[in-house]
Amino acid sequence: MMGKRLLSMLMASVALAATGVSAEAKTVLHVMHQGDPGWVSTYGEVAKRFEAANPDVDVELIYAPHDAYNEKFSAAVMSKQLPDVMELDAPFLANYVWSGYLQPIKPLVDQDVLDDMTASNIAQGTYPIDKDLYAIGLTDSSVVLYGNRKYLEAIGARIPKAVDDAWTQEEFEGYLEKLAKVDGVKWPIDTFRGYGIKTEWITYAYGPILQSAGCDLIDRTTWKSTGALDSNACVKALTMMQTWVKNGWVVPQSSGTNQFFAEGHPAALALGGHWFYAEAAASMKDDIVVMPLPKFGPKGASPNGTWIWGITTASEHPDIAGKFVSFMLKDKLYRDYATADSGYPGLKSFAAASPLYDTGGPLAVAFEQASKTAVARPPHPAYPVITSAFMQAVDEIFNGGDAKSALSAAAAKIDEDIEENDGYPPFDEQQ
Amino acid sequence: MSDIAISTPQAQMTRTHSAVGSLRIVQTACILVIALVIVSPLFMLLIASLKDDRFQILADMGSFRAFWVSDPTFANFAEVGNFSGELAFGRYLLNSLIILALTVGSGLIVNSMAGFVLAWGSVRGRALILSLVIALYVIPQESIIMPLVIMVSRAGMTDTFAVQIVPWIASPLYIFLFYQFFAQLPKELVEAAQIDGASIFRIYRSIFLPLSLPALATVSILMGIESWNQYLWPILVTQTDYARPIAVAIATFFGQDSIYWDRAMAASVLMMLPILALYLAFQRWFVSSFVGSAVKG
Repeated sequence: MMGKRLLSMLMASVALAATGVSAEAKTVLHVMHQGDPGWVSTYGEVAKRFEAANPDVDVELIYAPHDAYNEKFSAAVMSKQLPDVMELDAPFLANYVWSGYLQPIKPLVDQDVLDDMTASNIAQGTYPIDKDLYAIGLTDSSVVLYGNRKYLEAIGARIPKAVDDAWTQEEFEGYLEKLAKVDGVKWPIDTFRGYGIKTEWITYAYGPILQSAGCDLIDRTTWKSTGALDSNACVKALTMMQTWVKNGWVVPQSSGTNQFFAEGHPAALALGGHWFYAEAAASMKDDIVVMPLPKFGPKGASPNGTWIWGITTASEHPDIAGKFVSFMLKDKLYRDYATADSGYPGLKSFAAASPLYDTGGPLAVAFEQASKTAVARPPHPAYPVITSAFMQAVDEIFNGGDAKSALSAAAAKIDEDIEENDGYPPFDEQQ
Repeated sequence: MSDIAISTPQAQMTRTHSAVGSLRIVQTACILVIALVIVSPLFMLLIASLKDDRFQILADMGSFRAFWVSDPTFANFAEVGNFSGELAFGRYLLNSLIILALTVGSGLIVNSMAGFVLAWGSVRGRALILSLVIALYVIPQESIIMPLVIMVSRAGMTDTFAVQIVPWIASPLYIFLFYQFFAQLPKELVEAAQIDGASIFRIYRSIFLPLSLPALATVSILMGIESWNQYLWPILVTQTDYARPIAVAIATFFGQDSIYWDRAMAASVLMMLPILALYLAFQRWFVSSFVGSAVKG
């Protein structure tokens, strides 16, 4: 009896040791990401499918909530625990590459996936110094102007159907004024001030208004903000937006982000992201119209960029990391989930299979903006300071502050950071 | 007959009663308003957790419909009650309970012992130690968080339960709170026990601890709330769902593009229950401790 027990224990030990050996032989790939429950679950399933296709690899997913992703990333940098693959917000790419955290992905990701990228997707993943690609995504993003069909018909507004037909500033402001007088309209437009100043929203969505008006957050050749952000064109554009707020045309920050489709539909227009369509259409059905962003100058401008995938310089297995990224971007179920989530296409093949964005689809005009008006946020290592300073300035202006002095202060703060970092070489040599 | 009204004692009493009655009505109204302000968000949370359409919840916000559910469902609770899978909220809840129990349990022992020794032990430089304890209390947790992350990662503690418990067991606030409580107890208790031959540990365990229920309750609740609401620290030191607490897991519902209000509300209700139970269990001692502190100044 005792002999049998000893034998079985010995066999179990051998089996355990064997399992241990096989586990040790596996390559562990650390993948850091954010996302809502649907995405978390989808990444988990992709990882399982990748493991099944590559039995010698274990994928360990590291999740951080969207709002605390930067803190988690900083902690990973400080504790030298950078993952192999990481999701990153596109405008922060230049900062990460300049800091030495990311490596070029062209040699690592499948060529057919690289060839499938839209121009906007390439732009969001490209580092301006070496023009090399450091990140890639299945999706991209944009902002459009949503309208309540009944209200627009009530004022006899022209409904543009293509980017080239976008409203001019005069038309847009004229409609705001008319909408303010329509029964049932409490606010002519929701610019989603409810997202607050802790998200990227202000820089992401309002930056293109400045670019359309003929200025920018920073001069992209001299990399100086003074003279650009506080130029007359920018001051005029922000003063115009301040007037909308002063006139009571804009949904206030305290009223949340649901006034376009809340009961009674108190907001007539919404300057919202492509993701807003699902929320609004669920409630408004056919009463929702999707229009291109208005032109505030001679040319239109729209935002782009979303969370994309990069491979870190700390990765000991960049080839496997590249294989994982390629696998994920081609994965059918991953794409199906992105389609169901109204994902804005960043790959051409994904666009062709997305009925929402295909020709005649309700968000086709949003996709048209990607090739005609999309402007990436400033691809500079100082971007974290640029966005933070700009958001504070806009908040101050919307709360009644002087546009010129708020923008000058923001520009000075940005330039100060650039000077403190010796111009973030070699960005200082780009001029 | 004179027109001048004569105020009889009976009339005066009636007027006094009427004034007292009016005062009570005003008091009750004020209490009701305050209660409404405090309870309404919780009620809204509960109602929203019973709705299964996140878009509808968002559309209802800001109107009275936020306080009404016509077709209640427990579907959200069923969804967030998983113990396995990618979003095992049942497991995260259990993780939080384990972290809470071990942090509070160890914290009560360590902090009360430290407080007792500082109050009655023969410690050299007691005043200096007390000053240091108070000085440490004013240092915000956030300022030491990054060095702490580096320390625990070098010690190989990341992604464990221990990393969420050990750094928060000893706390200057709770050491000082216990010290204050123990120092107020009569000296005769210690002297009598010493005459009977009791050791310092025996005096602490058999005399002072049983007398310090209000302090124990207060520290349990404060430490419990602190541990339960930890958010940034577990984000920085957990990698997988092995030891992830529910506060971090709930943040999953707040995505970049959309917020899953339905499940976030149900998970928030679940997260609220244990700490509410802890408060109700210790409420009597907790309140008496606070009242006692106020009276003693």
